[in-house]
Amino acid sequence: MTTYIVRRLLYAVLTFFGITVATFVLIHSVPGDPISFFIGRAGLNTIPVAVLDSIREEFHLDDPLPVQYLHWVRAAVTLDFGDSIVDRRPVRDRVLEKLPNTFTLNFIAFTVAALFGIPIGIWSAARSGRFAERASAVGFFLLYSLPSFWVALLLMQLFSVRNDLLPLFGMTSDDYFELSTPARLDDRLQHLVLPVITMAYAQLAIFARFSKSALTEVIRQDFITAARAKGAAPIAVYWHHAFRNALIPLITLFGLTVPYLLSGSVIVEQIFQWDGVGLLYIDSVLTRDYPTVMGLTVITAVVTLLASLVADILYAFADPRVRLGEKA
Amino acid sequence: MTPADSLWRLSWIRFRRSRLATFALLYVAFTAVVALFAPLIANRKPLLSRTAGGWSSPALRDFWIPDPDYDPPAVAATYALRAPVAFSPNTIDLGSRLLPPGNGHYLGTDDLGRDVLSRMIHGARISLTVGFFATIIAVLVGSFLGAMAGYYGGAADWIVSRVIEVVLCFPFLLLLLGIVALFRPSMLTIMIALGLTSWTNEARYVRGEFLRIREVEFAQAARASGARDGRIIFRHLLPNALAPMLVSASFGVASAILTESALSFLGLGVPLPTASWGSILSTAHEHIEYAWWLVLFPGLAIFSTVAAFNIVGERVREALDPHSD
Repeated sequence: MTTYIVRRLLYAVLTFFGITVATFVLIHSVPGDPISFFIGRAGLNTIPVAVLDSIREEFHLDDPLPVQYLHWVRAAVTLDFGDSIVDRRPVRDRVLEKLPNTFTLNFIAFTVAALFGIPIGIWSAARSGRFAERASAVGFFLLYSLPSFWVALLLMQLFSVRNDLLPLFGMTSDDYFELSTPARLDDRLQHLVLPVITMAYAQLAIFARFSKSALTEVIRQDFITAARAKGAAPIAVYWHHAFRNALIPLITLFGLTVPYLLSGSVIVEQIFQWDGVGLLYIDSVLTRDYPTVMGLTVITAVVTLLASLVADILYAFADPRVRLGEKA
Repeated sequence: MTPADSLWRLSWIRFRRSRLATFALLYVAFTAVVALFAPLIANRKPLLSRTAGGWSSPALRDFWIPDPDYDPPAVAATYALRAPVAFSPNTIDLGSRLLPPGNGHYLGTDDLGRDVLSRMIHGARISLTVGFFATIIAVLVGSFLGAMAGYYGGAADWIVSRVIEVVLCFPFLLLLLGIVALFRPSMLTIMIALGLTSWTNEARYVRGEFLRIREVEFAQAARASGARDGRIIFRHLLPNALAPMLVSASFGVASAILTESALSFLGLGVPLPTASWGSILSTAHEHIEYAWWLVLFPGLAIFSTVAAFNIVGERVREALDPHSD
């Protein structure tokens, strides 16, 4: 077990190295002097040579690339990604203040998707092959093909423009600060509904599909046949014998969905003007705020790495075959 | 029926057994035809016109020379055969802004008075071109790396696996947005960026297939007869990995189309004024309060095309799998 975790950790360190090298190489393969990132439209000729030299000095631009990389990684490890070009504030602070909003949205969407998706997956595994199940399988398959931004626009049309049921965008109403506490909570909840639906529907399809195939896999095994043969009721076979084993592969899914969630956040936050990390990312890309883009790219990749690491370790705890298999 | 093509022929028979998949394949073909002949289907220039100078086809020229600043000939045509949709995708007409469907525009107009149907027909070109070429790049990169990893194993396999791990750590859309923004959005950048970020599935399929078949008798026989590695890989092993590649390519086109439209929607797709399905939806977002037609139709186009490719891919997977139905 320990050797498995240690090995997994070593690989994670290696992957972290790969992430930073990839980001660094990407930024440095952009045509033009990196210095033009920092001065933007002003143009090189209008700036005194002494100032240019001091900028080169500050950002180590005169050093060889590997040295520049080491400087950058050393800062990145302490979450220091430099200052934003837009407002000269540290990238770290800008990201940290948006993080709670993105987390709230994703956490709720994830929970909703799991609460609906997993039971649907179990139902379709149990009813496999019947008409209702096959029809719903096609339905879920089509859900994958729906562009989330289109779904969002349709929901806005339906619930906000046609019928004034829910707010069109934003996280709170304009008069939020004049409201009483219960009214504030209600206001926030109303603003959550459409973004959460948009984020959750595609996830729900993934959860349903994944839990269905996990359960189908378990049902084929000998111990289920044995349970049936000894006369256990079908419900008991499913809940007692099959379901708990099918939960194990779901752990990997939690690790796999994190990058997916972060990508989804960019679109959903942009559409609903949700003041989170995704909106910050797209704004930074559009204003060519490279320090923020670079910082956020590394941060999100590391978050993904940590999620898959945690998932793998939990998996090893849950499934003795993984950790014992390592020794053989 | 030779033994070599029997798998493909059998799979085709099985493929057609699904009516939904056959319909989806026809729909894909229909979209491809629309995309290919877009300048002849939606164009304000006549397909055929007769002036004092004789017969000419102004629309036909748009196949290779895009000509947005077209002026009708000074000499009135005595005969003109109009295109089915008599509007060019980029013609701005501020007098007819945001018209609902009808009024001479089958699917309405956008905020600059451009015909939505015409923009959608020309947008099909962007979506399919980006989808296909991005997938070709992904398949080439993925199968090359997968083949190296699967055939040589050891260090090659280890390195390729680590690279895949790193690529998978980057949230796909964020990485893509970053690359496209760094290198300025254009059709070429988008195709290359999409291809270079989505080859991991192909690599894993090909690697798995190679690991499975590299020690099978025919591969050993090729090696014993003195064939070089390159010949064994490309002539003997890679053709056997074609089936899983075809499946993942079909899903790949679907996801590339979806991603391209997302990029265009976010304003980082093919630069304006070139029409794409995602950029029409982005206009729809700005005018969500009244222009429902800008939301409905381009979204339907994206959804139906992506769904068709996904259905075809799923059916190909089933048809090639000897264990299914």
